[in-house]
Amino acid sequence: MTRLANLLASIGAFVLGYVQASITLISIAGRSFRGIFHFRGRAKGEVLNQMYQMGNRSLVFVTVTLGALGMVLVFQVCLQINKVTGDQSQVGPEFIKGMIHAFVPILTAMMLATRIGAGIAAEIGSMVVTEQVDALRMTGVDPIDYLIVPRLIASTVMTLALGLFAMVVVILAGAFMAHTSFGVNYNVFFIFDKVLPGDMIIGVSKLIAHGAAIPIVAGYCGLTATGGSQGVGTATTRAVINASLSVIILDFIISAIGLATVQKVG
Amino acid sequence: MIHVRDLHLSIGDRPLLKGIDLQVERGSVWGIIGPPGGGKSLLVKTLCGLFTPDRGSIRIDGVEVCGLDEPALVPIRRKIGMLFQNNALFDFMKVWENVAFPLARLKPDLDEAALRERALMRLREVGLAGSEDKWPSELSGGMKKRVGIARATMTESPLVIYDEPTAGLDPVTTSKIYDLLEKIRQSTGATVLAISSDIQGLSTFVKNMMLVHDGQILFKGPLPALQECEDPLVHQFIRGLSEGPL
Ligand SMILES: Nc1ncnc2c1ncn2[C@@H]1O[C@H](COP(=O)(O)OP(=O)(O)O)[C@@H](O)[C@H]1O
Ligand SMILES: [Mg+2]
Repeated sequence: MTRLANLLASIGAFVLGYVQASITLISIAGRSFRGIFHFRGRAKGEVLNQMYQMGNRSLVFVTVTLGALGMVLVFQVCLQINKVTGDQSQVGPEFIKGMIHAFVPILTAMMLATRIGAGIAAEIGSMVVTEQVDALRMTGVDPIDYLIVPRLIASTVMTLALGLFAMVVVILAGAFMAHTSFGVNYNVFFIFDKVLPGDMIIGVSKLIAHGAAIPIVAGYCGLTATGGSQGVGTATTRAVINASLSVIILDFIISAIGLATVQKVG
Repeated sequence: MIHVRDLHLSIGDRPLLKGIDLQVERGSVWGIIGPPGGGKSLLVKTLCGLFTPDRGSIRIDGVEVCGLDEPALVPIRRKIGMLFQNNALFDFMKVWENVAFPLARLKPDLDEAALRERALMRLREVGLAGSEDKWPSELSGGMKKRVGIARATMTESPLVIYDEPTAGLDPVTTSKIYDLLEKIRQSTGATVLAISSDIQGLSTFVKNMMLVHDGQILFKGPLPALQECEDPLVHQFIRGLSEGPL
């Protein structure tokens, strides 16, 4: 009987912890979005600085990885088509469409979730455990306005910019691979008829949503760090896992909404 | 200046402050001593509203601190300068920007040149002329403490809290720091709370002492009365005896 009670109590504590964490996360998200309009709450030039840091750190990483993935993908598709029909005229248009509304947004965001997310959590987490955040609060600074909001704006803008850039890179890399390995003509590959406005809307919405989710989740993990450098390590790991997870979940939700509204299949 | 009544604080399910009662008059100078982990830092942070107590009352200049949200705490925190136990210097700012930061927040109209000017003046007073453009990571322990002291006293707030201003410093630097604190106190007339585990050094600076152990105040009163305190734990602690309840 006591074992059952203990079990129930620990399940209850677990659920309660989860609910509390969700409430904190949602409140941080709400305060962050409101904080976008508190121009005096953040340091001058901090948004640009963060944008530079994030873009600079991620451009090569995203370009190389997504370029390589684009080539591998086109290579495999062409290989399979060669075995079946040999008609490669549809590879380009379908590839371009898929890249824009599905492949590039989630992959760019997953890469940035590790790169940007880890950076944010480590930075803010170490400020928490060294009492710098308390020192900020003592001077009347809201840590959300001061630390998270600039990162939120920068990450949203840079994820969108990097994502759009990655789409171009992936499509060029795919075309190059199709042309050199399978002799697909560039003007057969570059056909954008299949890309409808709905695809563009979905791709861009995903990039914006993911770009906003990463700093909020990572910032939450950083702000709730406890203990010393070990706590910062834990916060960083949590940030990467949770930011990636939230990207996957958001991607799924936006895909579903998109399919039901703006996207035409076929 | 500070009135604390029946203050209780727990974090998680650990009770950490267990019924603190305290009264600090304006202009008085208090030392806070006690074994490590007793709750000294937690007590002063709770006074600033950095922790939310379970129950009890904290009034600073007649204003109730408990139950205020962050924006409402801003005017109270403006009255407090704080040196944190591990300095808490902003590592993304240069030394002079650290020192100027509280003033920049208090007076947003001051331009950068004026802020820098004032920060350099403060840095000279704490003996750090020439270090203004260094990063905190380039400083020694004693220099970091001085920067922290300069930042805590930058706005000449009526209440200053020093959490371990001399921990880990050599005896010469320690006495220099206490001289500095005394000089600053005389020029501003601020109420001071200073935490330290070095009773001798602290005694040269403060007029009153309290001893915090296990979330409770075991002794509070004027410095001379500390020697006569009957409590066995206080007796042991201030004499540094190895035999006793600690
Ligand atoms: N942020 C915190 N979260 C949980 N426990 C804490 C926190 N800060 C302090 N404690 C605990 O409170 C007790 C008192 O700590 P502290 O006030 O730092 O002691 P000291 O008297 O040495 O300054 C310690 O047992 C410490 O583990
Ligand atoms: Mg302490």
